[in-house]
Amino acid sequence: MRTYLYDGTFESFLTALSLALERDEDCAIAREAGAEAGLFSEFVNAGNDPARAAAMRDFFEELGSAESWHHARCAFLSEASGAEDALLAYARLIKEKGRGADDMLADDRVKRVHGLSASVGGEAHMFKGFVRFKELADKTLYARIEPDHNILPLLTGHFKGRLGEFNWVIHDARRGRAALHFKGRLVYAPLTPAGAPEFDGKEDRVQALWRHFFKTAAIKERTNPKLQRQNVPLKYRKNLTEFGG
Amino acid sequence: MLDTMDLQRKLEILADSAKYDASCASSGSNRAGRGTGAAHQSGVCHSWTADGRCVSLLKILMTNECVYDCAYCVNRRSNDTPKAILTPDEIAGLAFEFYKRNYIEGLFLSSGIVVSPDRTMELMLEAVRKLRENYHFNGYVHMKVIPGADQRLIDQAGLWADRVSVNIELPSDKSLRLLAPGKTKDTVLRPMNRLAQQIAAHKDERRTIKSSPAYAPAGQSTQLIIGATPETDREIIKLSEALYGKMALRRVYYSAFIPVMKDNRLPALREPPLLREHRLYQADWLLRFYGFTADELLDAAHPQLDLSFDPKTVWALNNLDKFPLEVNKASYEQLLRVPGMGVTSAKRIVRARRAGALKLDDLKKLGVVMKRAVYFVTAGGRYGGIKKETEAAIKIKLLEHKNPNGQLDLFGQGELVREGLEATVTGQL
Repeated sequence: MRTYLYDGTFESFLTALSLALERDEDCAIAREAGAEAGLFSEFVNAGNDPARAAAMRDFFEELGSAESWHHARCAFLSEASGAEDALLAYARLIKEKGRGADDMLADDRVKRVHGLSASVGGEAHMFKGFVRFKELADKTLYARIEPDHNILPLLTGHFKGRLGEFNWVIHDARRGRAALHFKGRLVYAPLTPAGAPEFDGKEDRVQALWRHFFKTAAIKERTNPKLQRQNVPLKYRKNLTEFGG
Repeated sequence: MLDTMDLQRKLEILADSAKYDASCASSGSNRAGRGTGAAHQSGVCHSWTADGRCVSLLKILMTNECVYDCAYCVNRRSNDTPKAILTPDEIAGLAFEFYKRNYIEGLFLSSGIVVSPDRTMELMLEAVRKLRENYHFNGYVHMKVIPGADQRLIDQAGLWADRVSVNIELPSDKSLRLLAPGKTKDTVLRPMNRLAQQIAAHKDERRTIKSSPAYAPAGQSTQLIIGATPETDREIIKLSEALYGKMALRRVYYSAFIPVMKDNRLPALREPPLLREHRLYQADWLLRFYGFTADELLDAAHPQLDLSFDPKTVWALNNLDKFPLEVNKASYEQLLRVPGMGVTSAKRIVRARRAGALKLDDLKKLGVVMKRAVYFVTAGGRYGGIKKETEAAIKIKLLEHKNPNGQLDLFGQGELVREGLEATVTGQL
């Protein structure tokens, strides 16, 4: 069986997907770093071909619909194991059925990709609330996040819309990447902090006020830690100011 | 403004006094523009407190001083608690500092009555005006309107705020007179009516003149306290139905009564009636999203919601002649009435059956809670429920799923519970 290897970027993945779709026999897609050589498998580096990647976008949007493209992109951002092959199966189905494919909600191929897309969309929405900025000495707002999925590209538009006049950084510490918003321009870059940042003098006091507010807002007679855990999973709390982050 | 410990203490007092207001929604507005902040159409929750309720807004009172002496209210004049007041500058500054750190979606500002309703309303308006004009803030603002304030002041609230609200609190005039001397049904409903008219008029105007100002784009809401007075669920749900219909309210919140202080006019409850509150929210959801009327859910012979079953299941059991429904043929409106189906799964069924006939096994994949729906549907003519379905037999089957840990988990996995409880607790939609 042939396995197409991609370099981790979406563009390279789309290149691999396009190559795999052209072959009729069984093939697979895997990330370079994670793939292990098997006795009967043949590895082919897909490379990174912008023209093929763009054609794949057209494939999803025109043969499927804007919705298909949205689900494909979000499912890729899930970084879930097996997402690549799930996307290949989904793309094959779109090739066969066209835009009717997304109606097949009980079909496992559609359900899997829609499901991955929904969990990525869900986490991105949660983080519109969970991002916590801290003001640095130079007035830049800095937030550290560690989401399960690679949701950074889905968050930046939201924060550009509301904090457009500030300089800010959202740092995905789990992936060592950051979105940097400076003077109205947005860039993505690898980021590994060199040391503890220096905060604005007022920062501690604002955080203390917020923690006080948060504590006070709970109604004692309705205490329900299970419901709280359901809504704010423990794994997210270390970067939330009100939980000591 | 942040330099004093004093502010911390004031915030504590004024957040503590505001927390019994159930409204926390930040939805229904898409305000944006130059400056800082924007509103999000579906709302955003930023955190959840130890009681599992969502924090979306900086919910505070401007002051907890009050000239009224309402028995149910923690801020009543005769309650001997520490009093505090925030200045308009403090309120605007605090909201802005919290907002830019993404702690909150915006401000929820309520207040006790200081000096007079007019003076109170003026100070509140000043705080929100400062936030909008001095800080160029485009985030969400929910403003309480003070009953008894001048109409001219009430009218201004909707120009600055995304959502406006007057709390009815007690579901009948009789209860109001008993527990809230100084308030009547009329003093509460008059400003509500006025806001409803203003909202409708501005909406009309914006249809023709796009540049005319938005007026409370997220509409109007209110709150009812549950269990402090003897009103039945039927009276409460009928009242909500009228508020949604006649006053075009976006939300009615239900707040289980918590006896924060003793008063011989109030019932001595050991625990707040949380399950009853939950059932009312479910019934409310059925009114707003499922096409039910209050009369279908409760009648004179059955004025209280069943605590063991959700109101849709109760309705279905009383209307077994309408079931089982064939999922491949039933209309969307009919599907919504099947226990175990919600708005999402009903929409999925309608969509998925375009691609091919659905089998019973498919329904679970579409998100239907089959342990409840199974008694009420067929797929391709096949029925998976019990042979001779009677109300009693289905009830027994449904109760087998009852969670031994407590009634609130009765249908813990159910879609209605998920859609109803979580969404209401979070205040979204």
